[in-house]
Amino acid sequence: MEPVTAQVIAKDKVGEWIEQLMAEAEVIAPVLAHGGDEVFAAIRSPGQVLWEFTNPLHPPKQFLLPQTDPVVAIRRGSNRYELEAIVDERRRILLNVRSCDVTGLVFLQRMHTADLPDDTYVRRAAAVTVVCLACSQPCPLGFCICSAAGPFAREGYDVQLSDLGDRLLAEVGSERGGELLAAAGGLFRPASPEELARRHELEEQAKQMFGEQTCHFGSAMRRVSTGRVAEDLWARMADWCLECGACNFVCPTCYCFSVKDRHESDGWVRCRTWDSCQYAAFTREASGHNPREERGDRIKRRFFHKVSAQYYQRDGMVGCVGCGRCIEVCLGTTDMPAVVAAIRKGEWHG
Amino acid sequence: MQARDGKPSGVAPSRHHPISQSRLCARGWGAHEAPAWGERVTEPLVRREGQLTPVTWGEALDAAVSALSGLRRGGKAIGVFGSARATNEENYLVARLARGALETGDLDSCLRNTYWPLARGIARGSGGRAPFGSLTDVEGSEVVIVFDGDLACSHPRAAFAVMRAVAQGAHLVTISCKRTQLARLAALHVAVAPGREQDVVAGLIASVVEAGGAEGGAEGVPEGWAREALAESAEELREAGQWYVQAERVSLLVAPEIVIGNSAEALGTAIGLLGRASGHLGRPGSVLLPLPVRWNLRGACEMGIAPDMLPGGRLLDDTAALGRLAEAWGREPAAAAGRDAAGMIDPVAGLVVVADDPPSVLRDGRAARERVAGLDCLVVLDAFMTATAAAAHVVLPVASHAENEGTCTSADGRVQRVRACTSPPGSARPGWQVLAELSARLGLPSDFGSAAAVLDEIRRVVAGYEGLDERALDESWGAVIPPQGDARPVESSPRFREAPRASGDASHLLALDGVFDWGSDPLVAQAPTLSRDSLSRRKLFAGGLVEMSSEDAKALGVRPGWPVRIKSRHGEVTLPVVVCQEVEPGLVLVPFAFREQVSDVLGGDDVVAVQVTRPAG
Repeated sequence: MEPVTAQVIAKDKVGEWIEQLMAEAEVIAPVLAHGGDEVFAAIRSPGQVLWEFTNPLHPPKQFLLPQTDPVVAIRRGSNRYELEAIVDERRRILLNVRSCDVTGLVFLQRMHTADLPDDTYVRRAAAVTVVCLACSQPCPLGFCICSAAGPFAREGYDVQLSDLGDRLLAEVGSERGGELLAAAGGLFRPASPEELARRHELEEQAKQMFGEQTCHFGSAMRRVSTGRVAEDLWARMADWCLECGACNFVCPTCYCFSVKDRHESDGWVRCRTWDSCQYAAFTREASGHNPREERGDRIKRRFFHKVSAQYYQRDGMVGCVGCGRCIEVCLGTTDMPAVVAAIRKGEWHG
Repeated sequence: MQARDGKPSGVAPSRHHPISQSRLCARGWGAHEAPAWGERVTEPLVRREGQLTPVTWGEALDAAVSALSGLRRGGKAIGVFGSARATNEENYLVARLARGALETGDLDSCLRNTYWPLARGIARGSGGRAPFGSLTDVEGSEVVIVFDGDLACSHPRAAFAVMRAVAQGAHLVTISCKRTQLARLAALHVAVAPGREQDVVAGLIASVVEAGGAEGGAEGVPEGWAREALAESAEELREAGQWYVQAERVSLLVAPEIVIGNSAEALGTAIGLLGRASGHLGRPGSVLLPLPVRWNLRGACEMGIAPDMLPGGRLLDDTAALGRLAEAWGREPAAAAGRDAAGMIDPVAGLVVVADDPPSVLRDGRAARERVAGLDCLVVLDAFMTATAAAAHVVLPVASHAENEGTCTSADGRVQRVRACTSPPGSARPGWQVLAELSARLGLPSDFGSAAAVLDEIRRVVAGYEGLDERALDESWGAVIPPQGDARPVESSPRFREAPRASGDASHLLALDGVFDWGSDPLVAQAPTLSRDSLSRRKLFAGGLVEMSSEDAKALGVRPGWPVRIKSRHGEVTLPVVVCQEVEPGLVLVPFAFREQVSDVLGGDDVVAVQVTRPAG
């Protein structure tokens, strides 16, 4: 393992640093919204940024893959249609992103650059700098430790911050991260060996503090990948799902979409919009035939994609970062830990 | 709701909302779509030489006012529609426009009869103590009884509350003509033919009374009625009665589908009596809620969108309520009972329709479509180009739910703020503003500077809303209004329509499935993600379909897609079969969306006995 370059900033200097970042780019961080919810949003002042917070329900995915994403402008020319790609290369800094979400972004990057690279995504993502805030304390519903996505990030960040009390330790994860810290003038200084030791101590402590949520992907993977899950198990689970699609929408690794043209005054805008593999219409064909007409088949497909060895080999990781959001949003009881447990045990109790 | 480049672009649920608690159904997740993608009305339109033509706001309002005034001078009737798709402020101004400016009681919304008669019956049967409780209370109940159309489809958040209760060990009892998703999770599923739900309710009342019930639990229950029902009912209802009486917290949820084939108010009264018989009503954690089929249906009713009541659910002869309205409006309200939605379409010469669409929503949609096209004057206020708007003489573009300000009232009586996430497209204006202007031009002073000013007047004149805490609206997630029920005693047995029974050749019952077609609602029909299911079904079964159990299909020797002939004493039709595991044998169902294909067979009834055969050849 290469030695990490680590630096330290005093907490009373962080506001100044963020102001510098805001001058360079749109800074997106967890803030408190109307109604008391933590959300990722573009900040207007450093004071808005939350440092102790419940991870927002929408992961930062929404800034790389928005729910409605205009991708092509279509205009009627004199004798033909004119198409123009809508390019978004705005510089963005995602600040205080948790390790689970950093891992989600790694997953999305791999998916969008494999085979046929997705230009819209790749160009937008290339302008994004990721500053992770490591979790010294796991969140109540999180099980990132089961999918090797936390509580501290291992890859995918440009800078990773750890809270050392009166100061933050900043690890550099990329060339861009190094430049970001170098550009901060004298606000950062090199970390001492004691500070580095303290960061590792925090990580080890955090690993011991996980709650009841666990997800044994390994044994579930063996069963799913070899077809050793009884068909009626999926059918029984289906009665505990109300097909809301929320598990897809808030999942940091879900990327499936629909394409639809929106009428505008001077033509159309082709948009990519979030879709859910749990919706009956998702796989319905133009003829009306639906290869996954039964909800149980759709749940089976979702979890095959998330935890099978076939997809593990392709993606290099399970399709779950252990953020626990699906537990919070599920309009039913078919969240990731519940279904993984059912697959593993071959039982479903609702 | 979130907006990007001035258009609604997404939805973010809240962890702190007391009911949703981070959870939304598919329609919630797609709530931004119709405003952004739908066919919006963006400028005022007036029909000239047969075509809807863009005009200025002044011209459009002048055209509407002169046409409506002309009809009034000629002594012709004008009807008014409010809507479950409009805010409380808009609906209140609609009621004010009808009873104040146009002086008519021909005032309704297309969906009112799926909710209000049932809610009123429940209020009466329960002695004014219901509707009561919230969906989060359901989650903690030990016994849940669901009068279930198909809650998982129609009311997913309510179905989720039921699931949570079951997961925590509650006894679930479902009463339905279908073995629905919730029925499959139930400890007891009572299969009941449409129109005969009252037998089960009476049996439950009797079993509750027999099991001990509340002190005086039989009070108000008409002599003999429940006892006879219990004598007929199965042993299983006795067990349900035991569960019910022994539980600390019980929930009764009533889906709108229950009104099919039944006398909704009588059935509501019976359910209210059941609530009262056990003594759970008023106890923290217990619930008795009728579920409105759509967003602000309860609010619309409470704002007075009905031919037979005043705002606040007050009766037309309530002199105190009339006095309050007269003081606020500066004139006596029209206190005569009017015609309901289906009844007014034919006799009126003019209609003002606010965010409603009779051809798509009413049972007899075909007649409504023909009739609205032939009116002397049709003024439509809507955000979307509906079938009604397309037939209008004047279309006034208003804000959709994404761009509107005001309040709405949920099933459990929570009054919440509606906030705009962006501004209305084109020159569309908030509905409250247009309604106030229209009323003023028709001679009723309507000096409202904001939706909040309309709410101020609502708080002065609408029963239940007077104590509304403005701070709770702004700082927490709304305020809950107390039950405003009708506490008059139940004088005699709830009277039920005679339900048809299958017999002889007519060995099956035919009924409509559902009371509303979401596929025709602009919020679904014009949302790309949400509309797919209904579009695909309509494409595959353009001429309609009939759902039947696999047992019946087998007995008839038909496979999915094969035609069957359905014949009643009124008429007959041939429809392709969709085999549906959820339908009980002996019953055939036609989705509400295809109601017109079977209108000749139903002959105006909701349920008929039919002969189902396989056509020769």
